[in-house]
Amino acid sequence: MMSPEQRTEELAQLQRMRAISLIEASTLLLLVLVAVPLKHLAGLAIATRIMGPIHGLAFLTYVWMLIQLVSAGGWSRSEITRLVLGAFVPFGGFVNAQVLARRQARLATP
Amino acid sequence: MIYLWLKALHVAAVLCWTGGLLAAAMAIAARPATPEAIAPGHRAAIGVISRWDRRVTSPAMLVVWGAGLALAMQGQWFGSLWLTLKLGIVLALSALHGVLSGLLRRAASSQSSEVPSWLRHAPLPIVGGVTAIAVLVVVKPF
Repeated sequence: MMSPEQRTEELAQLQRMRAISLIEASTLLLLVLVAVPLKHLAGLAIATRIMGPIHGLAFLTYVWMLIQLVSAGGWSRSEITRLVLGAFVPFGGFVNAQVLARRQARLATP
Repeated sequence: MIYLWLKALHVAAVLCWTGGLLAAAMAIAARPATPEAIAPGHRAAIGVISRWDRRVTSPAMLVVWGAGLALAMQGQWFGSLWLTLKLGIVLALSALHGVLSGLLRRAASSQSSEVPSWLRHAPLPIVGGVTAIAVLVVVKPF
């Protein structure tokens, strides 16, 4: 049985995971749909030089938080697979944020 | 000048991170094998280390990464073999920290004593990794 403090902490963790999932998805879209076309069509290589590291850091943070979330337990194999694959596919992070939001809603309901 | 300040920040964050990482690894290694054997003192220690991990060790890791990457860019170290090797070790230590951090959360919120056996030896690779990093950074053998 979870104490109120543990439930609050769990909800905060899910909230942080949702936020990083959205950031990771948005930076991937900016990289693929804006920076890469700017580089190849307009010759603006600086666009990928800026967006590349930003997305790289967002991706690493997402992966680290996912390792932490999964190690804490309570996630099925299919949920873990979905959360991992979502990081590699454009728009996948937005789907992951939905999955996390549903989990958050379930946990918030007493 | 900014390079030296970044370096000081990086070293301070590394000390906080590795200290917290070792504390987390020791706490998980010392977790008794059966739920009945978990003493109240151990449960309290796990709670304190888990909170420390959330508030100090994990933010310190973010500062290590941020300041470290800024240093590598400022010093134009990217491409050096010693840095590539160091980054690999830091990635492995970060992943290990993620696993330990998740297990600490689980241990703090439940009676579960389930700890993968390999993690009972986690302090050793941490000490080895940190030693290898110190050699790579100071001696720069490659």
